Amino acid sequence: MSTSGSVEVLQPRVDKPFRFTSNGLLSESASNNDTLVEIPSIAQGERDRAEDMSNPTPTSRPSLTFASNGLLGLSSQMSTGESSGAPLLEEAQPRAHDTPDAGVSAEPTLIPLHPSSKLSFGTSSLLSSVTPPESSAGASLKFGFSTLMSTESHDTLPEPSTSSLAFKSSGLLSQAAGSSSTNDTSDLMEADDDLPTLSQLVPRAQPNKALPTYLHRPPIRATTFDGRNISFARRRKLESVVPTQNQMPSGGTSTLLEVPIHRMLDQLALSAASTDDSAYAGVAQVDTHQTTSQSRMWVDRYRPKQFVDLVGDERVHRETMTWVKEWDQCVFNRKKQKGRKRTWGDEDGEDRGTDEWGRPYEKLLLLSGPPGLGKTTLAHVVANQAGYSVLEVNASDSRSGSIIDERIKPALDAGRMIGATKPVLVVIDEIDGATGENTGSFINRLIQLATEKPKRKARHGEKRDPKEKKPLLRPIICICNDLWATPLSRLRSHARVVRFNPALPTLLVKRLRDICSLEGLPAESRALTNLVAVCKGDMRGCLNTLQFIHRKCQTVCEQTVRLATAGIKENESTTQDVWNDLFVPMAKRRVKELGLTEVDESKYVGRLSRLVGGTGNTDKIVIGCFEHYANLHQYDPTFQRYEGALEWLGTYDGLSSRMRSEQEYALLEYLPYAVVPFYHLFAATTNPKVERPKADWECHVKTKANEEIYTALASSALGQGGRVTPGHRYLFNRPVLQTEFIPLLNRIISPPLRPVHSQVIKPEEKALLKRLVDIMVSFELQFLQEKTEEGQMVYRLEPPIDVFVTYDEKRAADIAVSRYAIRHMVAMEIDAQLAVRQAEAVEKTKTDKMASFFGTKKTQSDPDGHPRKKQNTGKVDLADMPPTDFFGRLVVRPPPSSSGPAATGSEEASGEKVYRIAYRFNEGMSAAVRRPVKVASFL
Amino acid sequence: MSLWVDQYRPRTLDDLHYHPELSARLRSLAASGDFPHMLFYGPSGAGKKTRIACTLRELFGPGVEKLKIDQRVFMTPSKRKLDVNIVQSNFHIEITPSDVGIYDRVVIQEILKEIAQTQQVDLSAKQRFKVVIINEADSLSRDAQAALRRTMEKYMSNMRVILCANSTSKLIAPIKSRCLLIRVAAPSPEEMGVALARVAKKEKFDLPDEAATQIVSDAAGNLRKAILILEALKMQSPDLTSNISVAKPDWETYCIKVADLILQEQSAQRVMLVRGKLYELLSHCIPPTTILKTIASHLVDRVDESLKADIMHWAAFYEVRMCTGSKKIFHLEAWVVKVMSLYKHFFYGIDMPDDFEI
Repeated sequence: MSTSGSVEVLQPRVDKPFRFTSNGLLSESASNNDTLVEIPSIAQGERDRAEDMSNPTPTSRPSLTFASNGLLGLSSQMSTGESSGAPLLEEAQPRAHDTPDAGVSAEPTLIPLHPSSKLSFGTSSLLSSVTPPESSAGASLKFGFSTLMSTESHDTLPEPSTSSLAFKSSGLLSQAAGSSSTNDTSDLMEADDDLPTLSQLVPRAQPNKALPTYLHRPPIRATTFDGRNISFARRRKLESVVPTQNQMPSGGTSTLLEVPIHRMLDQLALSAASTDDSAYAGVAQVDTHQTTSQSRMWVDRYRPKQFVDLVGDERVHRETMTWVKEWDQCVFNRKKQKGRKRTWGDEDGEDRGTDEWGRPYEKLLLLSGPPGLGKTTLAHVVANQAGYSVLEVNASDSRSGSIIDERIKPALDAGRMIGATKPVLVVIDEIDGATGENTGSFINRLIQLATEKPKRKARHGEKRDPKEKKPLLRPIICICNDLWATPLSRLRSHARVVRFNPALPTLLVKRLRDICSLEGLPAESRALTNLVAVCKGDMRGCLNTLQFIHRKCQTVCEQTVRLATAGIKENESTTQDVWNDLFVPMAKRRVKELGLTEVDESKYVGRLSRLVGGTGNTDKIVIGCFEHYANLHQYDPTFQRYEGALEWLGTYDGLSSRMRSEQEYALLEYLPYAVVPFYHLFAATTNPKVERPKADWECHVKTKANEEIYTALASSALGQGGRVTPGHRYLFNRPVLQTEFIPLLNRIISPPLRPVHSQVIKPEEKALLKRLVDIMVSFELQFLQEKTEEGQMVYRLEPPIDVFVTYDEKRAADIAVSRYAIRHMVAMEIDAQLAVRQAEAVEKTKTDKMASFFGTKKTQSDPDGHPRKKQNTGKVDLADMPPTDFFGRLVVRPPPSSSGPAATGSEEASGEKVYRIAYRFNEGMSAAVRRPVKVASFL
Repeated sequence: MSLWVDQYRPRTLDDLHYHPELSARLRSLAASGDFPHMLFYGPSGAGKKTRIACTLRELFGPGVEKLKIDQRVFMTPSKRKLDVNIVQSNFHIEITPSDVGIYDRVVIQEILKEIAQTQQVDLSAKQRFKVVIINEADSLSRDAQAALRRTMEKYMSNMRVILCANSTSKLIAPIKSRCLLIRVAAPSPEEMGVALARVAKKEKFDLPDEAATQIVSDAAGNLRKAILILEALKMQSPDLTSNISVAKPDWETYCIKVADLILQEQSAQRVMLVRGKLYELLSHCIPPTTILKTIASHLVDRVDESLKADIMHWAAFYEVRMCTGSKKIFHLEAWVVKVMSLYKHFFYGIDMPDDFEI
């Protein structure tokens, strides 16, 4: 009974969940058993089945039930439609109708149905057409129809390969298999013998042990109500199990239907428990492999499980392993050379040295490299090998700081995951892939986690503060593609970085060839080499392609590889590659790899424009082309090619400017076409390699710096409350400033001065110096003292407007280079002048305040000699009146002296004397008018 | 203390000593009480801004010279902050919208609305309106000009606009039709000579005639430049002897060098060399149009008659492209290569295909 229920569904993909009512089809007596057995998808079902195969436990019952009932339902439609369960059957029909809909259409080639197999359906014909090859007839009788294993239908299968497929999937390894399948098995065995290294990878089939114990049970066919054919593989059956049928009441369909389903299930469970487990155990591995061969991706199936199976750069693997092993002292508390001294655990609370937890210096490991090289696999393999269980956080999880607190931190604090016995190792996959808003906080939190230290160790027995920071005591591996992604910039300094390089093609080809022969896929070495080259070492891409080819039942030759890899990796190319492609025709080897014909190769426009567009940085490509084209030593007497190139550059610039300014991004797709003509114009095999363009960027940087100087000059002249006469603003319009004013200002501020002391200078030179200083002060130009790298003292002009008369590092010839001594002299004078002005400004504000306090208004004049007019007429009237003091008495003041900066100082000083008397009068009388007074004003 | 160019700038309409008929007209306009929007145009250094300032003084009295400089922050729709320096008195406000490039529309709208919607509060003011001076109006973007046209009409009672431009060709017609156009022509050499002599007299030194002639011819109608040159010369050689030479601006000297390089040799290496020089010029913030114009004019001086038209044609062609594009160097180099090609073909007698297309 036990195995008779375990009929399998061969169709691997049925998307819809389907249900069967279990009872109605069998008998009325089972009416209390009408549970709905639901199976979400076949993928799920298959996983269950895989488990069932390896350890048949009662837990697997639902799927078994489903299978058996489903078949019953189907068969009932055929034959027992008129039986007692008719009303319920009606209900079941539409559902059964749904089932094969997806199933059969999904795999039309899997089992080509022979017309005769249709005929062999129906209960009555079923029994007659059964050709029982083994003694399991009793089992088939129990369900009445289950042994629909007509050898006849097996033989009529048209294609050997298909039949082997069916054979493998149903896991039958019996001698009773058809001749074609036996051949396959031997193939498989041979393949195994060739590959001793892969022994771990794919569990070897053990035919000697398995063969005699299995029965040959080909799949079951059924025709649905609407005439579609479906076929069900059957679970393989051990001979030793066969006798269990004796416990069951035997008979035809009718007797079977009398047994309640729950009783049958109970008996099934009993027999399953009594089955010799060892009989399963020996074949479990093979079984898993064999049954799932259609459903699992090769990438998963041939994923390395052990460190020795890893293919690729050994150094990288070792480096990773070394890092993980460095945690041993912390995690497992074992020294490398010595045995374990003490066990560390949460429960013993033993103090560890505060200064060290036995962790490696870098608390994080950052694996980086292009996709498909096996970074994730390496992390998992190394973790398993080193005795950790892995907690993986990848791009499917949200990337926020909270996920660290919610998921990672608890696992790390506990040291292990719930229900796991091994310590945990966190793998954060695709750490650069997330570009959410919270990525920054994620990375920051991660770094914080890695670097934080507790303030003090908790003493023995002391209650631990739950919020206390704990050190990171478990390794964390981060995986990224782009090491230089911006979010990772901070992480890089905290992590040990291991960079992946593509493995040697020969290694990859060898592994691929091994896999091909394991899968029974004929493969040419050259085709595999091509495949590896096209994929640029992406093992995942290679395997997927191979599986794709295998699925199409092709052999791996260059043609199929080419077809299968069309478009692979084409979109990912660096700017450097694109430049090379633009200026150098494709190498013959590459042509062959891509499988282009002569005609294809000559059609470069589409290919190159795709390449250029694929980089996403057309601007950079264009700049590179611009800087490179004239370096090519090509004979171009008529400048035709140069003109053509520049014409295209102009077109490009027009398009891109238009796109940017008008936001017409529809133009974006045309941009690459403006670059492609460079191939036509300049491509030659002898062309030198394109260097990274820098002239344009340098120019840009320099321009920005120089614009800054302009801005500084203009703002110093305008922005500071008009210390400069506002009339100068006319000089600071951009074109005027750049083309007229700056060159002339440079000449104005470099008069021919002799470096003599300012005391012994000639009067005309003194006037010159004074004027120079005035002008420089008014534009806030200064000479700043600096030390050069040689230790020499120099005076630098600030803002450095002299760059605008310096072309090609040379100053204009007519401007005398002012010597250090002169600049020193000028700088001294400027400082003195500035000090005077500052003092003036202070004094002026004070006197202004004082004047308004006493109600006096003195008519002041600008340094330029323009009288200041008050717009308020009333105040003008007031100013016309003679000045009076606080008490309304007339104040006798000397008339204001003439204008000019030199005179102002004395004027202020003389004005000060008047006030001195006023203050002496008030001194000590009231705090309201007390103020600090310079000693000079009393003298 | 300021530069002569500012120190001896005329302050009132009476001080202006050339274009007297223009001064008379401005004076009568200011007196009429029906002051229109105005557009001053004319070459650089002709005295537009001086005349605007004088007109304002005529309108409002000396109060307009009491200036303060504000730094205002504007926010673009894309939330970018723009710092704009605004010079203003109680009666007028002066802006240079081209400082903020493509965002000039924001500045124009904000400032004009603000001015237009507040009435003159000073009861003693001579006029009821305020004046907005927009410098470099010809570099206003189209958006900004469109923003201007409606405001100009709507707020006529509170505000007058004075535009200042080098040429009217870049202003849209609706703006031009709303303004009274006033052309300020460049002064003639004699007028410039008078101006220089006046400066020299006030500075109490003798300006030799040869030096004055030299300066005037070099300044080419640009009085500001002339006075700046005068001051530079005076600083460098205080005695102003007769054999002085007026130095060209450095960038111009450099452009001449580039023109020479183009004519000396036409090869790939030379293209690269010229490119380096062009980059140098661009990085010194010399406007690319100026570069192209200067090099072209110097080239034309040196080549055969039959080539001149072609060179100028292509210079114009690439200047248009340069204005519409953003990578100036592409178009400059395209023109250089074009000129080299033309020159080479001419020199070696190679026939040019008429319509050469790639």
